[in-house]
Amino acid sequence: MKCYIDRVTTEHDVVTDIKLLIPDAGLRRRMSRVIKSAVTTAVECVGGIENIGSYDAIITATGWGCLTDSERFLRNIIVDKEQLLNPTPFIQSTFNTVGGQIALLNHNHCYNVTYVNRSHSFEDALLDAMMRIADGESENILVGAFDEQTPSQHRIMERMGIFRNINDGEGAVFAQIRAHRSAESIAQVTAIDFPAHSLSKQECLEKFATSENVVLMYNTYTLHGLYPTVSARCFAEATRLIQNGTKEVIVYNEYFGATPTVLRIQCVG
Amino acid sequence: MEQLIQELKEHLIEELNLEEITPEDIDAEAPLFGDGLGLDSIDALEIILILEKYYGVKLANSAEAKPVFQSVKTLAEYIMKNRG
Repeated sequence: MKCYIDRVTTEHDVVTDIKLLIPDAGLRRRMSRVIKSAVTTAVECVGGIENIGSYDAIITATGWGCLTDSERFLRNIIVDKEQLLNPTPFIQSTFNTVGGQIALLNHNHCYNVTYVNRSHSFEDALLDAMMRIADGESENILVGAFDEQTPSQHRIMERMGIFRNINDGEGAVFAQIRAHRSAESIAQVTAIDFPAHSLSKQECLEKFATSENVVLMYNTYTLHGLYPTVSARCFAEATRLIQNGTKEVIVYNEYFGATPTVLRIQCVG
Repeated sequence: MEQLIQELKEHLIEELNLEEITPEDIDAEAPLFGDGLGLDSIDALEIILILEKYYGVKLANSAEAKPVFQSVKTLAEYIMKNRG
């Protein structure tokens, strides 16, 4: 099973004005920070809303979901004593809000699924994309991941001692995934695995590396901050390393004792 | 009445998160839905909450809603008439 990557965009790569990426002011004004960040990253990745229609699957991943709206809704329940609840934070707090908003921008009624599986979320979304390609169900898939940190979430995790030796993090990443190699293909995913137990750096390389020109990204949250879909950020970085001459990158993601995941991203040459 | 209209405009901007709109931009007699401010059915729910939360005014029946929700001015008139 494999797939080709034609483009990867992170929230830092978004340079287009949000009003051009999300022209509908009605949609825009209801979006929280993470929804704006994820949807603009997705639209920038596909090159404009007019291109969303060319995708036959939109698969998103998040570990925490739209926390700001969830918190606002819960706060309203307490402050307003379960009366007079504003519907918008509730509607916008669902995990599949981002996938739905991307599809709504261009009325794309294709397969649209969101994976919410803690630190596996991005890998599960990518696995779904690869399985759809292997089964001949999709050829052009938009795969993305997003998570946001909020002050209250940060405070709770800090009190639990989680940030003692690790930085916090958040981010959005979207990728154009293709069944077939194209002139734009920048890399390919050639392995995705969910080992039954932890692997050492040595074991990762022995099991997954196929060449000497390999970079191992080990324990993704130590590299880009702690959040459930941080492996998507490493996935984006891996494609950049490959564009700069690295032959393959192994991304090993083990997050607080959850079953580890491994991705092997290789050059297309 | 003028003060109430100004206050209502501020609540609408704040609660509906109307981007880049100031109270001066809102014509008190312009339609709230469709061509005017371009609000939709979710906004209608939020306006019901604004009436109840800030002015203690409830819409007794849904048949009343259409004329009341015509504009900021009709909302203000309904509040004046019904608040305790």
